[in-house]
Amino acid sequence: MATFVDRYPEEAAVVRATFVVAFVSLGIGAFFGLIQALHRTGYVRILDSVDYYTILTGHGVLLALVFTIFFLLGLFTWAVARSLERPLPDIRLTWAWFGLTTTGATLVAVAILAGLIPSLGVSADVLYTFYAPLQAHPLFYAGLTMFIVGTWMAGADWFLAYRAWRADNPDDRIPLQTFMVLTTMLMWYLSTIGVAVSAVFFLLPWSFGIVETVNPLLTRTLFWFFGHPVVYFWLMPAYLLWYTVLPKLAGGRLFSDPLARVVFVLFLLLSTPVGIHHQYLDPGISEGFKFIAMTNTMFLLLPSLLTAFTVVASMEHGARQRGGEGYFKWLGALPWRDPAFTGMALAGLMFAAGGFSGMINAGMNINYLIHNTLWVPGHFHMTVGTAVALTMMAGSYWLVPQLTGKRLYSRPIGLLQVVLWFVGMVFMSNAMHRAGLAGVPRRTAEPQYQSFDFSTALGSVGELQAQIAFGGFLLFVSVVLFLFNILLSSFETPMESPVDDSLPAPLSGAEGSPLVLDDLRLWTGIAIVLVILAYTLPLGSIVTDAGLFGDSPGFPVLIDAVAMLKEVVA
Amino acid sequence: MKLTRAGVLILVAFSVPVAIELRTVFGLFGIDLPLAAVGVFEVILVAAILVAYAITAEPETATGP
Repeated sequence: MATFVDRYPEEAAVVRATFVVAFVSLGIGAFFGLIQALHRTGYVRILDSVDYYTILTGHGVLLALVFTIFFLLGLFTWAVARSLERPLPDIRLTWAWFGLTTTGATLVAVAILAGLIPSLGVSADVLYTFYAPLQAHPLFYAGLTMFIVGTWMAGADWFLAYRAWRADNPDDRIPLQTFMVLTTMLMWYLSTIGVAVSAVFFLLPWSFGIVETVNPLLTRTLFWFFGHPVVYFWLMPAYLLWYTVLPKLAGGRLFSDPLARVVFVLFLLLSTPVGIHHQYLDPGISEGFKFIAMTNTMFLLLPSLLTAFTVVASMEHGARQRGGEGYFKWLGALPWRDPAFTGMALAGLMFAAGGFSGMINAGMNINYLIHNTLWVPGHFHMTVGTAVALTMMAGSYWLVPQLTGKRLYSRPIGLLQVVLWFVGMVFMSNAMHRAGLAGVPRRTAEPQYQSFDFSTALGSVGELQAQIAFGGFLLFVSVVLFLFNILLSSFETPMESPVDDSLPAPLSGAEGSPLVLDDLRLWTGIAIVLVILAYTLPLGSIVTDAGLFGDSPGFPVLIDAVAMLKEVVA
Repeated sequence: MKLTRAGVLILVAFSVPVAIELRTVFGLFGIDLPLAAVGVFEVILVAAILVAYAITAEPETATGP
């Protein structure tokens, strides 16, 4: 039985290349994470605290943008070719977007790491959020722009493959994996408009000195226009694996294809008009706009809860196929020996916990309690740091053998690795959340203040520091195990069928879902309208207040007019 | 239910958040549990899992959880 590399050797080569870039970034980013965990907690300090921000930026960019998105590029290429059962239309285009994204990511990484050598005069200590007033070297913005354009080209590649398939299959439903890829990319096209405008029209000219000032609130808002949907851009590859691969690994079938489609449509609609919930404490945006963003955000719970139901139902079905019985005893029948299954299941479990802490972030009033504290990194280490990253690592144990035609070097090491990640993240993120509740700030190498002691509800700050350092250490060991397992797998002897790569049909198939779900034009149109409704007035207000480049005085608004009128009347 | 070594590993992993959050649960009732108590609780949990494994262990060649 031939596997993916035998059926689509050229596509497999591209996917392998994207995974190599992703895993190299993972290794460097994880090392930076260890340095931060030990530095912040005061256990080991190998760098000056000034350089902490260079390391922090490298950690955020290499893991949250490069590792996740390169894995996505490979996974989506695999998913499109596999589910459409045809190679991509022109492999030169595929290599072109790989080249552009890799060059862009390399330029970004060079700009960041050059900050460690002051004599070079190049630095980009702007954190992963990179909005003004922090300014990076032009190389950073140029690389970022190339990277984004490369992802657009990748999307075009997959849409062209879909168009060719549609010409041959005019009446068929879009295969589920391709549907997931296309809706995710539509969301990505819509949301990256914000970051593209910010980088090309404001940050790049500003870093070159072509314009002297920018409007910081405008660049922040444009970043978060993109900055929340990017969360779902990370998450959708994990969802693709949870919906289409995890049920098979559990021994069963996807519970419902239509529910999966509904979830991806909801993410297309709701991911973008919510970014202002990251700006609850920004003074230049009125409370009313923030309230609308909060309401939109709460609607996003719906697809997450649908996913929890569908994925758990699929796993239960698999367990019962394997002889599981009872209300809870079926859990014991799941294939816990399989690192791919166990890693994804643990990632999903951690995502549930991350969802709860995310609701605290999203609530406008309670957000004030934890805003800019260590709670926030605690939250996103559960979501992107585990739900996404652990799913990607676990998925690799099943995907990489298909791409190389070689078996995994060690399943026991893989199992230990995913469990170690889970335990490490429990230690680290739990302590981060609790430290955040005590008011310990994020994004600083020196979280302590003079003549002030943080007061924890339980235990001591010292215990929390120890927990963070220990958790960070376990996470780093986990990454080392993962990388060695994958590396050693490449030396295995090629074999005909290194892994069972077949995916069974869902219990409830696409034929049972309304045709309108596949109308991508309709959903894109509604998504655009929602973005216009959510952003037109806030952006208009921000530009009216201080101009496009932050260099004009505020314009009078209604309250000033009323005050002037009072004076005239008096 | 028969336990395998993989099952033991997973159960030990699940016991960690349970032990850590034990302090939070006690804290809700106004009881400040010392760190040592959490350590002892985790040791008891791990010991219970190992005992369960010793009692129910199946041959590693068989399929199962």
